[in-house]
Amino acid sequence: MILNYIGNFALFFCLILSSIIFFTSILVLNNKNSFFKRNLNELLFFKFFFTLLSFFSLVILFINSEFSNETVLNNSHISKPLFYKISGTWGNHEGSLLLWLLILTFCAFFYFLKSKNRPSDERLLTIIFQELIIMGFLFFLLKASNPFNIIFPVPDEGMGLNPILQDPLLAIHPPILYLGYVSTSIVFSSSLAALMKGNINNLWAKDIKSWVYISWTFLTLGILLGSIWAYYELGWGGFWFWDPVENISLMPWLSLTALVHCILVLEKRSILHSWTVILSIITFTLGICGTFLVRSGILNSIHTFANDPERGLYILFFLFFLIFLSILIFFIYEDKFETNNKNLNFYSKDFSIILNNWFVMYFLSVILIGTIYPIFLEVLSNEKISVGPPFFNKLIIPFLIPFLIFMSIGPNLKWIKNNKLSNKLNLIFLFILSIVIAIFVFKFYSNVTLNITILLAVSFYLFFITIKDFAKRNYKNYSQMISHFGFSLLVLSILLNSIFSNEVTSNMRVGDEIKFFDKSIKLQRLENTKEANFLKLIAHFKIEDKDKIELLLKPEIRIYDKPETITSEAAIKTDIFRDRFLVVNLVKENDYLNVRYQEKPFMIWIWISAILISLGGIINILKKNEK
Amino acid sequence: MKNKYLKIFIIIFFVFSFFIFYYGLKQKHLYTTENSGIQKFPNLILHDFFTNKKTSFEDILIDSNYYLVNIWSSWCLPCRDEHIYLKEIKKSSSVKIIGINYKDKKNNAVKFLDEFGNPYAYILNDKDGTASIEIGAYGVPESFILNKQKEIVKKIIGPIDQKKFKKVLKIIKNEN
Amino acid sequence: MYNKKVKLRALFLFLSILSAILIIFLVLKSLEENVVYFLSPTDIKNLNEATAEKIRVGGMVKDQSIKINSDKINFIITDFKNEINVVYSGIIPNLFQENKGVVAEGVLKDKSFFEAEKILAKHDENYMPPEVKASLGEN
Repeated sequence: MILNYIGNFALFFCLILSSIIFFTSILVLNNKNSFFKRNLNELLFFKFFFTLLSFFSLVILFINSEFSNETVLNNSHISKPLFYKISGTWGNHEGSLLLWLLILTFCAFFYFLKSKNRPSDERLLTIIFQELIIMGFLFFLLKASNPFNIIFPVPDEGMGLNPILQDPLLAIHPPILYLGYVSTSIVFSSSLAALMKGNINNLWAKDIKSWVYISWTFLTLGILLGSIWAYYELGWGGFWFWDPVENISLMPWLSLTALVHCILVLEKRSILHSWTVILSIITFTLGICGTFLVRSGILNSIHTFANDPERGLYILFFLFFLIFLSILIFFIYEDKFETNNKNLNFYSKDFSIILNNWFVMYFLSVILIGTIYPIFLEVLSNEKISVGPPFFNKLIIPFLIPFLIFMSIGPNLKWIKNNKLSNKLNLIFLFILSIVIAIFVFKFYSNVTLNITILLAVSFYLFFITIKDFAKRNYKNYSQMISHFGFSLLVLSILLNSIFSNEVTSNMRVGDEIKFFDKSIKLQRLENTKEANFLKLIAHFKIEDKDKIELLLKPEIRIYDKPETITSEAAIKTDIFRDRFLVVNLVKENDYLNVRYQEKPFMIWIWISAILISLGGIINILKKNEK
Repeated sequence: MKNKYLKIFIIIFFVFSFFIFYYGLKQKHLYTTENSGIQKFPNLILHDFFTNKKTSFEDILIDSNYYLVNIWSSWCLPCRDEHIYLKEIKKSSSVKIIGINYKDKKNNAVKFLDEFGNPYAYILNDKDGTASIEIGAYGVPESFILNKQKEIVKKIIGPIDQKKFKKVLKIIKNEN
Repeated sequence: MYNKKVKLRALFLFLSILSAILIIFLVLKSLEENVVYFLSPTDIKNLNEATAEKIRVGGMVKDQSIKINSDKINFIITDFKNEINVVYSGIIPNLFQENKGVVAEGVLKDKSFFEAEKILAKHDENYMPPEVKASLGEN
């Protein structure tokens, strides 16, 4: 009970501290030696501490199942395992916002601690922008989604957490994703501050780079976790559906990826100043825009949350306030950019990075259009539509081809200017090799289109070239090589996976048998068991080869009582070549089971390659710290 | 000069998108669950709150032009604010208020009624919350206005406040 | 030298405008081709003739209408005004039940018969797709 008050007051205190920091910072902006500036660090720490206090109050409320708290009441119940009681803290709207705020205040504190080599007025300005964002979220939290609403008299039992969210991966997915999203706010604030002070240059790029890497790495990992979860929990055996909510997480990732490369060009060559700032703004606003679209329920997607138009309205105003603020600052201080008359050479690393940047922006716009076009159309003409995967596939796949080619050649070029390509012979040989492999696949599998064949060839090309780079033992660029290698592996495994996947769907009764190529799938028996908070129906399947190699798969159906929900747990047998995926579902009270069996080759490599991509980022962060 | 047009264009574009999103949010049918499928009120059999006798809705929903089915609970704070309006609504002769007590302890609920008054013609018990789900409720408090034919005329999610209270009166009086 | 630079810049500008126009054209064209319209059973009844395009149908699964055999599932989607028969062979989501909201994507065979390729479901049991709400609310 007391924790409700502690949590609530900590938040209020946080708001007071935040406004003190905000207004005093503005006042002392031009005062070189104020007492306040020297002690800002402590203030920022206190603010972080109070948010932490508030967050832990909520965690303990969840652990103790204190249903005097409305958030706990709505999202927890006594018989839930401890782990999910804790993760339930951020498994709901209010708690996840509190987590978001916690990371936000931590970032502000950490930035100030680590940016001592920046000019002090720029640091202060960054903190001002950061406080603006923090205050926006604090208002939102206290006004429209307070996690500490008290209920009296205290009910005995809570409503429970949606069972589909009771999953270890989904417990760590939001914190990691938020770390990625929120740390882009530092990049955003810092770029606006540096812009106002005319400090956008190669030194700034060097200092802000680690924040870009941190957010990029966490965002990559966050998306990966969400994707793995969707793969086994939603029971469809797909990992990416071009669903609006998935697109929304991909968009900031794309612009951040562009930023990761662009900031390198700024650091090394002192060009692309304004473009870097634009990308920083885009990345953060896309993150907030994502929050708006998901939380307001304006989109319709398979991953929806409880909708509340009032909340949506608030985030909408906040989002457009940030957009107009940054546009305004950009236009006013535009002439502070260093003008550059440096030439760009076609055969240079800079040029290939710029080109790839444009491709990434193209992918981003396609996804953005595909995601929000239905909203625009519905408002303007009242027609309800959805934009499906074919749209994205058609517009993205062909452009991946030149993208991958530039990605293979680019890192082998030098900065500024290359007169001729080094070891041209090698590159050409590898190119021919990849084309031969692709043609080989094309010949033997009739369902491969020409488009896919070319894409296959270029992704093999990137694959070989990155392997060749490893052989050169150039330790300087290890992180880049690992990430690029991971990306080529990702494209390759996605392609091979989509070409060679096979599936069969059927409705079966106990004893039924279906054929899948030369295999037979038999439903042997059903078994009922009772677990702590759900009933379990296990279906025993036997899969037999013609060589009589047997495989037993046991997919489950779980029937939870709080809240009453049915979920399917797929049975997945993973090895390095393929995943065998079997999922069943109940239809009414019927003796038929709805069964889907899939063989998906190279599934594990999709996850491994995404881990490799983020590993590159992690190495980069560590390398930076060692220096 | 060229730059100026670009700036204006960018600003107009964002203002435009703002209004699109704004009206997208305002479009009511996206959120309200008015007319959410079940049109006829389901005929459930529940236990009476005081006597614990089995009671069917069919037996209660008689002799009135309108019925207001209200889901409430003693632990629900907004229900208290709502109670004042329920008592106001009770004064109208054309409506009968039926309460469904949702996931509640009897002691607490009785205390609640003693303190705030009892506007309900009948109160039925929904201890485990299943009946409320069957009716299609989203939470507590929630109210359904039924007409003489036991069809759902309006569904009110959340507490009845000043604004919603006026709407309720309008429905009851208009078609009378 | 100066002249050459200007020419190069003009060429660059020309190329970028050209590619921008091409890309806008391409995006709009595929948007037009790949958009899936959402209709209620009443909308379908009001069509002049069954379209061959892929559409989504939304409404409630009618009570007692699910029939299942070894290779397909039949059911009826209703918006309480009109109904449409649906046949589907594939995996169904957990929340597919009678008297619950459903969205099916597929092709119309005729105005009262729909062949679904995909059935969509949502995470949240209480959640009803906005499109379904709308189509039920229009009555």
